Amino acid sequence: MKKWSSILISILFVLLLAACNSSSSTEEKEEKQQETKETTGKVQEPVEIEFWHAMSGNLETALTKITDDFNSQNDSINVKLVNQGGYGDLSQKIMAAAKANTLPTISQAYEDWTTEYIQNNLVADLTPYINDKENGFTEEELNDIVDVFRDANMWDGKYYSMPFNKSTRILFYNKGLLEEANVEPPTTWDELEAAAKKLTGSKDGKNIVGMGFENGVGHELPAWVKQAGGEFIDEKEGKVLFNSPEGIEALSFINSMIQDGTARLAGEDGYMSGPFTRGDVAMYIGSSAGISYVAKDAEGNIEWSAAPIPKGKEAANAFMGTNINIFQSATDEQKTAAWEYIKFLINTENTTYWAKETGYLPVRYSALESEDWKKYIEEVPVYGVGQQQLDSGFFDPRMVGAYGIKNAINKEVELVLLGQKTVEQGLADAEKAAQAELDKVK
Amino acid sequence: MGRPTLKSTFTAFLYLLPALLIITVFTIYPIIKSLLISFYNDYDFFQDIVYERGIDSYIYLWNDPNFHLALKNTFIFVIGVVPCSIILSLLIAILLNTNIKLRALFRTVYFIPFVTSVVAVSIVWRWIFHTEYGVLNYFLGLFGVDPIAWLTDPKWAMPSLIILSIWKGLGYNIIIFLAGLQNINDQYYLAAKIDGASAIKRFFFITVPLLSPTTFFVSVVSIIGSFKVFDEIYALFGGQPGPASSALTVVYYIFEKFYGEWNFGVASAAAYCLFIIIFILTLIQLYIGKRKVTY
Repeated sequence: MKKWSSILISILFVLLLAACNSSSSTEEKEEKQQETKETTGKVQEPVEIEFWHAMSGNLETALTKITDDFNSQNDSINVKLVNQGGYGDLSQKIMAAAKANTLPTISQAYEDWTTEYIQNNLVADLTPYINDKENGFTEEELNDIVDVFRDANMWDGKYYSMPFNKSTRILFYNKGLLEEANVEPPTTWDELEAAAKKLTGSKDGKNIVGMGFENGVGHELPAWVKQAGGEFIDEKEGKVLFNSPEGIEALSFINSMIQDGTARLAGEDGYMSGPFTRGDVAMYIGSSAGISYVAKDAEGNIEWSAAPIPKGKEAANAFMGTNINIFQSATDEQKTAAWEYIKFLINTENTTYWAKETGYLPVRYSALESEDWKKYIEEVPVYGVGQQQLDSGFFDPRMVGAYGIKNAINKEVELVLLGQKTVEQGLADAEKAAQAELDKVK
Repeated sequence: MGRPTLKSTFTAFLYLLPALLIITVFTIYPIIKSLLISFYNDYDFFQDIVYERGIDSYIYLWNDPNFHLALKNTFIFVIGVVPCSIILSLLIAILLNTNIKLRALFRTVYFIPFVTSVVAVSIVWRWIFHTEYGVLNYFLGLFGVDPIAWLTDPKWAMPSLIILSIWKGLGYNIIIFLAGLQNINDQYYLAAKIDGASAIKRFFFITVPLLSPTTFFVSVVSIIGSFKVFDEIYALFGGQPGPASSALTVVYYIFEKFYGEWNFGVASAAAYCLFIIIFILTLIQLYIGKRKVTY
């Protein structure tokens, strides 16, 4: 008797709970449908919007300053910054919040995240806001955003996000070591290989490796394949293209340097900035967003500078970093307020300030050409390296399932660099794995 | 106590309510929900709409080489960690149970790894394991061993992880064993001594059998815990499942499918596979336990 009644009670309980849950979610759905009617315009009532970001240290200070400026200039809008930790944490929290219907108004997002958000109807189309006569962008203002960033934020002719903190990979080099070996910063693949060979050796009982790559060098493969003159992936057709003579050439180039010991990966150091600033590595290719970290660690240790990435057959440089999107779940007032904030955040003055403080690139041509910025990169030339690559800029694959595809490729590249597979075998397996991932989401 | 009446059951239920509520919301509901999700073929996760149900996720797992790798790695990990950990902690517990100086201090020292945050511990171990600057390779170097790339060589990644996990789990097992040892009546040892039994004989014929309920408990808990390993990997390899996925375990696989690829169905199905494996192993242990644990 006792046993049965307790089982019955617990079953009832579970049912009750399940019932509560489903009824509330249908209500929310109805609410959502009403909200999707697009209205743009001025913000009248006081609105508070939350901005989830993953900026810490210097970056957070600069972002807070811009946001405070915005809040003091706009009585009716209050932007609340919420630091969510690293990018991984941010992505996980966004997903959990989307499920729980507690999304913020705006957030940082990589392009492939936004692809997922669009698939799941989570983000608002920004095109109506851009086209709004009163509060949108004029043709000129829109074209002022750097081409490659604008394209990266457009999906099927619609803008779902705006560029914010954009970076690219550059070649960091140790001035002292290069001068000693009488080596100029390399500008081509051949020069890079020769320089790495010349710079490798031991000095004062310390082993120095000529060239360094970050751990996720497999994620950089799109750029290397393009530099070799090949194609990486056809996103429209859903076809993997990197298992080609150019792909083999690209991976062989990196692999041969790793195998003969003239190059190394960051390995257990996590990021190349560590071994580079210790003087263990003479040059490395890494994100321009790492400039401030390198500068800090290098102080008193090494003299360093940076140069554009050496060219292969062609110049090709991936531009990374996140954009900002507005979530569909916000109210119309919040969305309008968020749009005001985004416009402010990436206006010429603020994007310049942001770039100067952080090492990211200004996202507007007017900022790149401003006297303020030109003077700044004259003083601190490393900050001007990234923009020299804009003409050869592209952005990484961002189709649905990009995360799985990139991981599958990176794993195979790792196996090649560890000497466990040949370049040909690794690329063939990477192609197979990536194609399987692509076909799965089709 | 009389026979349970409706009223007394109700009262009991009221007392149980807070705990039941928490368990239902945070354990039972997710368990049922993820079972349901594992059978979604085509669905909108965020709106809770299911277009098609089926066993696609399980078929996917059946064919996914990464999942097979994760299973293999997990078994290697469990086999590497559990026996070593039990034997080592039993030995240390016996030493700590004898009258040595600074006994209380040692007990605390061995327990510290267990209560320290995995992330903090892993940072220290990343330094210990460092190829060029690590203390482990330094010591091995004294014996003429060439530096080992503990964390970057796929061959050594799993052993490194196992070493870290054994070290980290020792403290908990030692405490449980100590409690078990103290439950063994000294009379047995005295009687055995009078009969002239050697220390080794006393260990195998008194300690081991009388400690079997504790050993049983420790082995069940360790096996379940080891199957669920995740934080150690995440922290030790800096957010990667080891070099070339050499330390990819089932829970890490679930994490990647769920948070990385938003592949909720496959993640839930993998979680259920893990659940069934642990469940079967625990049943086997219970069966063996019934026959061997006699006290």
